[in-house]
Formats: sequence, structure tokens, C-alpha cells
Amino acid sequence: MKICLGYLYPDVMATYGDRGNVETVVRRCEWRDISVAVTELRLGDAIVPEALDLIMIGGGGEAQQRLIAPDLYKVKGAGIREAVDLGAGALAVGGGYELLGRFCQLERGAELPGVELFDVWTMRHSAVLGDHSGTISDVRADRAIGELVVRWGARLLVGFENHGGGTYLGPTAQPLGQVLSGHGNNGDGTEGAIRANAVGTHLRGPCLPKNPALADFLIGAALTRRYGAADLLPLGDDLEQAAHQAAMQRARAATHTTHGKLRRAALTKAGLAHVRAGR
Amino acid sequence: MPGQVALTIDPAALADLVAEIPRGAVLVTGSNGKGTTCRMLSQVMRTAGLHPIVNQEGSNQRSGLATAMVAHSAATGHLPADRQAIGLFEVDEGSMPEILRHIRRPKALVFTNIFRDQLDRYLEPAYTKMLLERAMQTLPEGTALVLNADDPRIACLASGLTNPRIYYGMDDTDPGRDSADPTSDCPRCPRCDGELSYTCVYYAHLGHWRCEGCGLARPQPQVRATKVDLMGPSSAHLQVVTPTAESVLEIPLPGLYNAYNALAAVAAAEECELPDSSFSAIERITAGSLRMEKVEVAGHDVYLALAKNSNGYTEVLRAVLGDRKPKRVLLGLNDFPGKQPDTSWIWDVDFASLTGLVTAPVVCGNRAADLAVRLKYAGWLEAGPDADLVVEPDPVRAFQLALARTSPGQPLWVVSTSVVLGQVRDWLRHQGYVKEVWREQRGSARWLA
Repeated sequence: MKICLGYLYPDVMATYGDRGNVETVVRRCEWRDISVAVTELRLGDAIVPEALDLIMIGGGGEAQQRLIAPDLYKVKGAGIREAVDLGAGALAVGGGYELLGRFCQLERGAELPGVELFDVWTMRHSAVLGDHSGTISDVRADRAIGELVVRWGARLLVGFENHGGGTYLGPTAQPLGQVLSGHGNNGDGTEGAIRANAVGTHLRGPCLPKNPALADFLIGAALTRRYGAADLLPLGDDLEQAAHQAAMQRARAATHTTHGKLRRAALTKAGLAHVRAGR
Repeated sequence: MPGQVALTIDPAALADLVAEIPRGAVLVTGSNGKGTTCRMLSQVMRTAGLHPIVNQEGSNQRSGLATAMVAHSAATGHLPADRQAIGLFEVDEGSMPEILRHIRRPKALVFTNIFRDQLDRYLEPAYTKMLLERAMQTLPEGTALVLNADDPRIACLASGLTNPRIYYGMDDTDPGRDSADPTSDCPRCPRCDGELSYTCVYYAHLGHWRCEGCGLARPQPQVRATKVDLMGPSSAHLQVVTPTAESVLEIPLPGLYNAYNALAAVAAAEECELPDSSFSAIERITAGSLRMEKVEVAGHDVYLALAKNSNGYTEVLRAVLGDRKPKRVLLGLNDFPGKQPDTSWIWDVDFASLTGLVTAPVVCGNRAADLAVRLKYAGWLEAGPDADLVVEPDPVRAFQLALARTSPGQPLWVVSTSVVLGQVRDWLRHQGYVKEVWREQRGSARWLA
């Protein structure tokens, strides 16, 4: 068996070890004797929707977003939407997730168009890379930074978030999950977005290595898109689960320490109980 | 800390004291290598008859510099008269804007490189570069800029300024590779944002670069290494050509990154018009605390190597394992809750090309679980019968375990981020294997450096 993975802007959108997500998919397929053809789709490269079973785009800061936004909008946008409509899996992280929404408003008011895969938009409240932010502390104060725990159906996803501003959901958007600890989309208790087999999220770390269930969801989607069905062999995930549990513990510890207003405000009662119980 | 006290009493203390230094101040900054470059340069300065006033390695923010100056001043509150005194300060790249508000007329600024480092603290390289450039706008015309020609971000730093620029870089293409490392902070063209192509890459994004779009290319360095021999895990030979001299340096530190540090030190010495004969003082450099520091433990040579970001980790491992002979290595990874919680950079470390070279790896630190997963996906667990991985978060227990698994007389390398390494070193000190207190361990903020 073989799946085709389109990796968008590997040289630009990979600020937070994002290639780890691609590596995770590739290795988990190899361990199951599924080969993965990775096509790197850079600036100027068009997307052939029928050829892709899985699309991945990583995170990046404002400079990177500005660089790719026109290309994403004009050259790749329609292809991405069509591939997802044909059943392809997709994972968009951080800045990549933001640009798959309707638009992304930068701190000085400039607006980057999005590809409208998700009915979400992102607003930067204030300085991220602005002139008036003279020190690192000024910049940090405006960002949601820390462990993020999300309830995704019957499962939990863990990761690290580091983003400025907020991502807001439109009427047709479906959130990926509910925030149990951390900030998520904008502090409203939701995190990420999901449409068919396409997932957008602020979870970094990178997120797939310690959320093997999400990795397998994407691999399953890719196989189903190509072969009509997926039957994934279970893998020995002891190390992955240990890393997952360790992240849960860090999130739990963070709820007991002062760790920024954003975090405390975002922690729901249910979430607190859940995280404390360590489930 | 005296520096903090002095600054509280008199916020201008640092500025006033530095202004009194007869030969001015040289500031060394960048993501990696600034501490080692400073120690090399201070050896050269001493040999040339100067008396460098230096800050402690890692104490590289404003209070650390103020501490160094206050420690040097007399009871009068002024520096003792010494015509040979020169300031030589390692400066945290994020603190450079603040330092340049205090040290307004530095003699020279030396830049090593800009890597992605502590994303949660410095955000992106582009932001670090922007902060540096904005701060440099107020520099007087005479301040010389000593720049790494092989790092596109550094080579083109503040290119609008008319200050004298002296470039250093590698000319010998033998130790290079064909393409940039597959890490993600490869810069775009500093002028047109186009894609850069390389004819030779030494590590990460350092090499012979050129923009396909606008033709901007690596400037020809005045101080260059015409021959580089990496001599395995403990030293390197370097032939260095300057406009006036040619020297062969035997550096008792391994790896290409230390060759770059030596070039930066020579270029800065050249800029300070120190005699060529003093350059060989670089050969007397000893490893700094935790920079491949050697400690003898129960018949084993133990090397402590700090690796604090993806490029550092990659280059330290390449320096240790570059001869492709399997070795014993304890690998550590820790975060710093609330301050530096992000360890995603381990996915940009080139573990994949070193598969099978670490026998029975032991991983430790409060992020050991993440490191173990990383090694699994890099293929380290499939590398044969010796690939058993042990995960022991406690650094001291992990060290004891790793040492017990090392054959008598064989060396053990400990490669890790700072907290783990500090704990191992603390334990070695309590056991009497190391005498010296690691100065960086006073005050937790030091761990960040």
C-alpha cells in the first residue's frame, strides 16, 4: 500500500519542529508496511487534488505567513479545498491553520486572505512583531504560551501552544475539540477546527508524536481516500503514551501555579476536574 | 548581586564605568558560540599585553555586565587607572538593545550566528535580527562590525550602516556538505526574500550562499579558514589567513562550530589591531564549564557538553560521533517551566544520520519522554542489538546508570540542555570529582543563558 503526502512549504512553515509531524506519519506508515511518497510543495508549486491523500502544513510567524499567503490563496487554495472534499486528510498547525481559515488580520491591521477551508478567522490583538514592542517581555505578555490539553471526542490531545491573538469560529465551523487546559482558539473553550478529514490546530510540540491517535486518524483518512477502507495494525506506543502522560502532568502542574491570566481564565471547572483527575 | 545593586542605586553605573575603559569595549553576541569566542579572544588579548575586563560566561545580560564592571572598580567608584584595560563582554542577543543603550560607543560588535533558539523566549530569528538592527541604528560610525560571512542573516545585518565591516568565514570546502541541513530555520534572501542556494554548507544554514533571485551572495571574507581538519571528538586544526598573516591553529576543542568561534576571535583580534603572533593563544583555550568539559570519574573520562538548541545539539553530537565510531552517550533534555517550556526543536536535531553510533543510549531530564519518542522516530531503536534505550528522568540516577554500562576505562559523553547538565555536574562536585563551582548556577536566571 502507498499513500501520497503533500507537505506544504517545508522550507518556510516549519518553525516549531513541524517536520516531526511529517516524520511521525511516515514512520508509523513504514512500521505497517505502507509506503509514503512525500511531495514537497513550495512557493509556486500547484496542487493536483486527485494525487494527494494527505496534506500537511506547519506553523510560522507573521513573516512566514506574509511570504506564503499570496501563493496559498492563488496557487494552492482551490486544490486544497478540492482534495479535502475528495476525502484527503489534512493537518494544519499554528500559522498554517490560521491561513486555511477565511482571513488572518495582522497586528497592524493588514489582512492576509485565507483559503476558506475552515470557517474561522484570526485577529492579532496587538503587538507580536510590532514597532512598539521593544522587549521580549512585551511580546510574551500578549501570547498564549504553555501546555494545551484538548478533549477530542473520547480522547485527549496534548501539545504546546504559542500564539498571539485569537482564532474565531464562524457559524459553519466545527471545533476540533474542547479546551481542558490552556487557551485554545481564543479562550472561548474551543480549540482548532475540523472539516471532513481536515484538522486545523494550535497544538504544537510537534503534536503527532505524542498524540498517536491523531496521527493514525490522518493515516486512516489517507488510506480510505486511496483504497476505500483502512485497517490499521496497532503499534506498540509505550514511549508515545509516556510522553502524552508527561504532558498531561505538566498541564496539571500548571493549573496549580500562577501561569498567566489567559491560562487561568481558560480553564473551565469541568476541565480542571478532568485534568486534576489525570484522566 | 553587586551589579544589580549598583544599577538600582545608579542606573547609569554600567554606562559610566564602561565609558572609563581606555581601550573601549568589544561586545560579542549571537545564538551560539559567543562564550567560547570571548574566552578565545580574551586569551589573544592577554597575550597581546591587554587586560581584558570580562563578564562571567552566561552572565550576559545587563546586570551581569554591571557586576563585572563593579567588581573591577575601586572604592572610589571608578576604574583603577590601567591604559591596557579593554572591555570584552559576551552579550545575550535578546539583551543587545538594552546593552547598547548603556554602552553607546562600543569599539566593535562581533556577531557569531543567528539560529532559532528558545522560540518561546526570542520568538523567531527574523525577530531577533530586527531587534538587533533597530538597536544598531544608534551606533557611532567608528564602531566596527565583525560579521560571519557564512550566515546570511549576519552577513547582511544592518547593511544600510556605513560602519566598517570585517567578515570571517570558511573557505575550505572539504568539511562541507552539498545542501542545507533539513532544519527549518534556513533564512531567505536578506534583500529580496528569495530562495538561497548553497554550493557548500558547513552546518545548519552556514555556508557559501547565493540568492537565485537577486544575485546577492556571501561576501568575500577577509579572515578565512583555508584548511580545516576535524580531528575527532577532542580537537580541530585550522589554517587561518588574514590580510596580513597566515597561521595554523590547533584548537583543543572539537567540531566545526569551534572552528567558527576561532575565526570570529581572530577577526575581532585583527579588528583590534592585535599582533598576528598573538593569535596562537587561541590554542591555550580550555573547555568552559559544560562546553565539552572533561572530568575524570572512576577511571572514565566524562565529557560534559551543553547543547541548548537544535543546531547546538546537532553539532555537539556530530563533533562527538563524527568519526563514526560507536560511543556511550547520556542524552538529556529539560524544559524550564513558565520560562522556556518549548522543546519542539528536538525534531530539528539531526539524530537520523547518527543512528547506531550511540551504544545503549540513556535519556534523562524532565522531558526525557519526549526525547525518547524523538529517538524512536529517528530510527535509534532499530539500530541493532545494542539499541536498547533506557529512559530515566532523574539526571543523577541516569548518569550512574550510564556510567555503570560503560566499559572500564572507556569515555562517556553527557550531551544535554542546561538543567540536567548542571545537576550532573553538581553531583560530580559533591562527590569530589570537580573542584570548581560552576558560576552559572548562582541564581536560577542563569540557567536560561
